Amino acid sequence: MSALDLSLRDQAAAIAAGEVDAAELLEATLARIEERNPAINAVVETFSERSREMLANAPRGPLYGVPVVIKDEWPLPWRAQRFGAAELLEPAAPGESGPYLAMRDAGAVVVGVGNMHELGAGSTGNVSVYGAARNPWDTERCPGGSSSGPAAAVAARLVPGAVGADGLGSVRFPAAYCGLTGLKPTFARSAMAGHHMEAATTLIVSGPLCADAADCRLLGSALFGKELKVGDAAGLRIGVVHDTVSEDVAPEVGEACEAAIEALRGETAGEVREIELADLEAANLAAILTINGESLSGVTPQRLNELHPEISPINRGFIKYRMLLPAAAMVQAERLRTLMRRRLAALFEDIDVIAWPTIPAVAPPLESPMVELPSGTHTADQANVRGAALANLTGIPAISVPVGLGSGELPIALQLQAAWGRDELLLDAAEALERANGRRWVEALPPLAQAEPTEA
Amino acid sequence: MEATDRAEDFVPAGFASFGIEADEIELAIANAAHQMFWPGILALISLDLGELEPERNPDLSRAPEPA
Repeated sequence: MSALDLSLRDQAAAIAAGEVDAAELLEATLARIEERNPAINAVVETFSERSREMLANAPRGPLYGVPVVIKDEWPLPWRAQRFGAAELLEPAAPGESGPYLAMRDAGAVVVGVGNMHELGAGSTGNVSVYGAARNPWDTERCPGGSSSGPAAAVAARLVPGAVGADGLGSVRFPAAYCGLTGLKPTFARSAMAGHHMEAATTLIVSGPLCADAADCRLLGSALFGKELKVGDAAGLRIGVVHDTVSEDVAPEVGEACEAAIEALRGETAGEVREIELADLEAANLAAILTINGESLSGVTPQRLNELHPEISPINRGFIKYRMLLPAAAMVQAERLRTLMRRRLAALFEDIDVIAWPTIPAVAPPLESPMVELPSGTHTADQANVRGAALANLTGIPAISVPVGLGSGELPIALQLQAAWGRDELLLDAAEALERANGRRWVEALPPLAQAEPTEA
Repeated sequence: MEATDRAEDFVPAGFASFGIEADEIELAIANAAHQMFWPGILALISLDLGELEPERNPDLSRAPEPA
């Protein structure tokens, strides 16, 4: 097997053991990006000299020599973020962002910038100033968003790990669509410095996208600035809800997730408990209102009248509509956030994780990102946010784990959510689920990654 | 007075109030967003949260303080 196809942790271990030369791996990675990226448009910029300099100066940290991609949501010292758009509403400049520093200090090498859904405002990844990113499982399908490029890059094995951001599911959706594991950390636990909304946001976090939970643990440890220790998910108490989020899903998704929950229960010798979680739909809207309100910080009507003409019409219209969101709804959203946090705190006295599908249907077509659910046809954005926003609104961590392949051989994923600060438990539970499935779904490769490997 | 979700009234009037310019496409998108969100916004505003006091500057990295 080429070193390029090793897991993140195995690349790191092979370099540390002297079995793989980091400089050769870097060159092979750049060659692979050149070779495979045109089909998926996951990486929107490489900077080989900067990457070589980074490697030359890299400390012998836990990720020494491992190539990674960072989403176009943070600045690098040599490049301002573009947020997938022709322009940001906020000022942006090159700089040493938190995720960049986390990768640099761990010894990793940033080899490229990952594509993303324009302005972070979509769960599909089909709208971007760079052009749509494409799903390596089917390049006519959405890779998920907004961290579309990081996910597609890892799924196509351009790199073994990438840094995304999650404000309303933006790590978990692309992880699910691309068959990866993606962690949305507890709020404020992972590196966020340098994000253009750092001061305003109460929802967005950085998070790792990798093939499996062990790789997410290693990359996540760098982002957290502390080791995410391996624990034990034995006796896991799994909460399930009977609500739209778990029931208005494509039958193949429901069946795969139910089987995964049962497999997780069996593997951990745990138990499944039915729980009640009222007002989920209102909580989703509260999260949407909150992130849209926070993104208006410093935005004036005059600024809106000067939007760059290359921002997509859908975002130009929606950005302007944000100004009309009523203050009364914002206040109520804040009150509902308190209520949902208290309800979750009470629930997590009796359960360890809440489980439901990450996405209600497999990746939709790029040209028409609609999904068919028992309740009818919905835009993917409308349907996807149902299962994601609660974690962002309340601050709890969540993880998406691949649990099957559905129609068109496209990935299906289960989401697990835990109490504040229990990110490690989610990784433990995800690893238990991988074991229960014989690692079948985390080792499944999309067609693009099964091509003749580039030598390293 | 009965609530209305008539985007064709609300959105242009709102934009005009703020002096926000919008072309036909932007207006159509904003109208669609309004029709999508407004029923939920009305439901959210109408939600009876009783005497619930919101957390003051909540630390979202932790569980809430007991009420």
